[in-house]
Amino acid sequence: MSEQFLAYIDNDSVIHRCDALSKLLWVAIVVVATFLFQTSLSRAVMFITLLFVAIFVARIPLRTIFRVSPLIFGVAFLLGLFHFFVTKGFTPLITIGQITIMKEPVEDGLAFFFRLAIMVMASFMLIWTTDIQELMTGLVHLHMPYRYAFAIFMALRFIPMIQQEVEAVKAAHTIRGRAVKSQFRHRFRLWQRYMFTVIVNGLRKAEGTAMAIESRAFGAYPKRTYVKPFHWTVSGFSLVGIFTALAVFLLVMEHWK
Amino acid sequence: MTISSQADPIVYFDQVTFAHYEQTTPTLKNINLTLRRGSITLLVGPSGSGKSTLCMLMTGIVPHLLGGNLSGKVVVDHHDVASTPVKDLAVSAGLLFQDPEWMIAALRVEDEVAFGPENLCLPREEILKRVDHALNFVGLNHLRRNPVWALSGGQVQKLGFASVLAMETPLIILDEPTANLDPATTYAIHQLILHLRDEGKTIVLVTKDLDEFMAEADQLVFLQNGEIVASGSPRQVISQYGKTMFEAGVWLPEPTEIGLILMEKGKLQSSQLPLTIPEAVEVYSQLQFKEIEPVNLPANYAEKLISAKDVEFAYNPKTKALKGVSFEVYAGELLAIIGQNGAGKSTLSKLLVSLLKPTKGELTLFGKSTLQWHASDLANSVALVFQNPEHQFLCDTVFEELSYSLLAKGITDEQEVKQRVEEMLSQMELLDFAQKHPFGLSEGAKRRLGVATMLVGGGVRLLIVDEPTYGQDRRMTEKLMSMIRRFQQEGIGVIMITHDMRLVEAHIDRAIVMADGQKIFDGSPKQLFQSTEIIQKAWLRPTALRRLLNAMEEKGYLIPQNISSVEQFIEAVL
Repeated sequence: MSEQFLAYIDNDSVIHRCDALSKLLWVAIVVVATFLFQTSLSRAVMFITLLFVAIFVARIPLRTIFRVSPLIFGVAFLLGLFHFFVTKGFTPLITIGQITIMKEPVEDGLAFFFRLAIMVMASFMLIWTTDIQELMTGLVHLHMPYRYAFAIFMALRFIPMIQQEVEAVKAAHTIRGRAVKSQFRHRFRLWQRYMFTVIVNGLRKAEGTAMAIESRAFGAYPKRTYVKPFHWTVSGFSLVGIFTALAVFLLVMEHWK
Repeated sequence: MTISSQADPIVYFDQVTFAHYEQTTPTLKNINLTLRRGSITLLVGPSGSGKSTLCMLMTGIVPHLLGGNLSGKVVVDHHDVASTPVKDLAVSAGLLFQDPEWMIAALRVEDEVAFGPENLCLPREEILKRVDHALNFVGLNHLRRNPVWALSGGQVQKLGFASVLAMETPLIILDEPTANLDPATTYAIHQLILHLRDEGKTIVLVTKDLDEFMAEADQLVFLQNGEIVASGSPRQVISQYGKTMFEAGVWLPEPTEIGLILMEKGKLQSSQLPLTIPEAVEVYSQLQFKEIEPVNLPANYAEKLISAKDVEFAYNPKTKALKGVSFEVYAGELLAIIGQNGAGKSTLSKLLVSLLKPTKGELTLFGKSTLQWHASDLANSVALVFQNPEHQFLCDTVFEELSYSLLAKGITDEQEVKQRVEEMLSQMELLDFAQKHPFGLSEGAKRRLGVATMLVGGGVRLLIVDEPTYGQDRRMTEKLMSMIRRFQQEGIGVIMITHDMRLVEAHIDRAIVMADGQKIFDGSPKQLFQSTEIIQKAWLRPTALRRLLNAMEEKGYLIPQNISSVEQFIEAVL
């Protein structure tokens, strides 16, 4: 069985033991903070802190982080690059030969790079460290109707299944060889087919799962029992507190400067 | 014939006809059937005969969730299915789906089992009691806190079983519960089914492994083209309709298939037809056996295709999927890789096509180290047909699918492409579907298309097929095997990854047995089935035919050594 890189990692760390709702709040705080920050230094500090917590506190294996790094950095890099080219610059930063790089596009590019990288990294940390069933019971605890909470749960549960499906399709296509000379056309065709196969099989699985859960009485009553009810945790509050304090500290430092 | 006269029915179908949404031809026609409480009913029929639809009708999934036109009356545990929502029928009928991964709604084993009872708003203590009982029943209690994705295929099947049990429904419907399981787990699941019946549950079972149930089932229902051709006790139905069932492609236990053929040849009376191994020993011990010639084709040992020496592979540093595996594969060899779910078979097949590289050891493919091969370059010499052939399809029609394979090999002349594609389609009996979307084919046709896409370009020296008989009826399997035999005669090496012991015994020249990432056996199927130790270690089980032959030998009868299939048994006694 191949490893899944976007699924819950069964570790016993402090972050894993934090309750799901606190972790959801923690992700929200990190994301809001990254939009409030004015400098790339603050964003970089936040990103490095997240990375440190992921590796040393939540004990997420380095190879997992490495495997998802194209998702964390790749898209963020492209977005950063886009803003680097479209933002108008006024203040010269560096001149190399006849090319002068302006300060504003670099700052804008970095800002978008870090914003997206932080958002993706924080979301992945939530996925890696949270039993999504606990997230579902947490949302019900906040009075969300259980059918909606369960829909969120199922959507998150499908992520590793889709990843598995993409890997299987990719492997199968590799051994069929390439029918067109153009590497680009070939890749485009493969991606088109990945999407088709993954969507068709995803829909089939979703339909199958919907049938299976309904045939186990899902939705039979307005309420349901939870064998493991939701509980707030001290570690969850601490996580929220520490990151709120960090965000406030960085904002204050920016203002001070 | 129905058993409506018997008391206390839990299910009855009265003149039921059902057509799926937007289909003009009904999938089920004029069904009249009664199921008695505490009974076992077996549903058999060729692919597409309506077995799964009948199962889904008893849970209300059709017509309520999948739509369609239902006429007639279906009553389950006093509920009229047409007017009762699926969630309310869930307290009466539990369905174990063919693919139990569909059923998974939680992340941990115990949470998954609790999911159904939680929906019934039962008190927490009652749910915990049910979870304990269900997990103990299927033998998964020691894994209760494990994440569901870390379970093997067999364990997922048992988990699905436990989830259905926890609902404590009086009716349990099992749609091919052992289709993709190793033989020992299949046997264990069968024992659980019999145990449930003893606890008073009513069981409906769709399966191709009938041998355990021939003596135990109360009713056998034979479906063909959506109609019940026969229903009654297994003995009644098989005596009267055995030949029709056999011709329709239904898998019957080998001792019974032998009896049907002998009946046709005038060597057996219909009253003598054996359904179980003890009965078969009794009947066939009166026959005279003669020696028969072995039919296996010798491989070309001069041409080595694969050489593996102490190969290891690990997906992560903690777990080794393969541990020091060594073997060789030659041209024209028909080899099976077998073993329990999760033993490392699929990993090994991926190494053989260079989709994965060994973490240790030497693997040589066609005279060159695997490290020098890229999977797409190797495509000219080796073909892998995946367990789910849909993963391989790239185009919108069957014709284009085969054209793609030729283009990938640099064959661009339109006329030649057309000719070669049509030849292959005709060889694979797919010509009528040339303009159909590959995803719209039947399971059997998809598998044939999967093989065709890999072979149409020619030049393939090694064919690897993952679970060739999965989802196929007997007729389709025979067709696929005769095709594979033809490739073998042409000098192509063939490797099959399979759980189907009947296939291994009847067709395979050499078997490699894997257990816990290690090769524990390499030899002929005959040697394999003589080794009780290997059979136990690899979670295998001898076929009904082998058990019959062993039982006859134990009674002192002289049995020819080369019998490994129904056809050879017949040859030896005629």
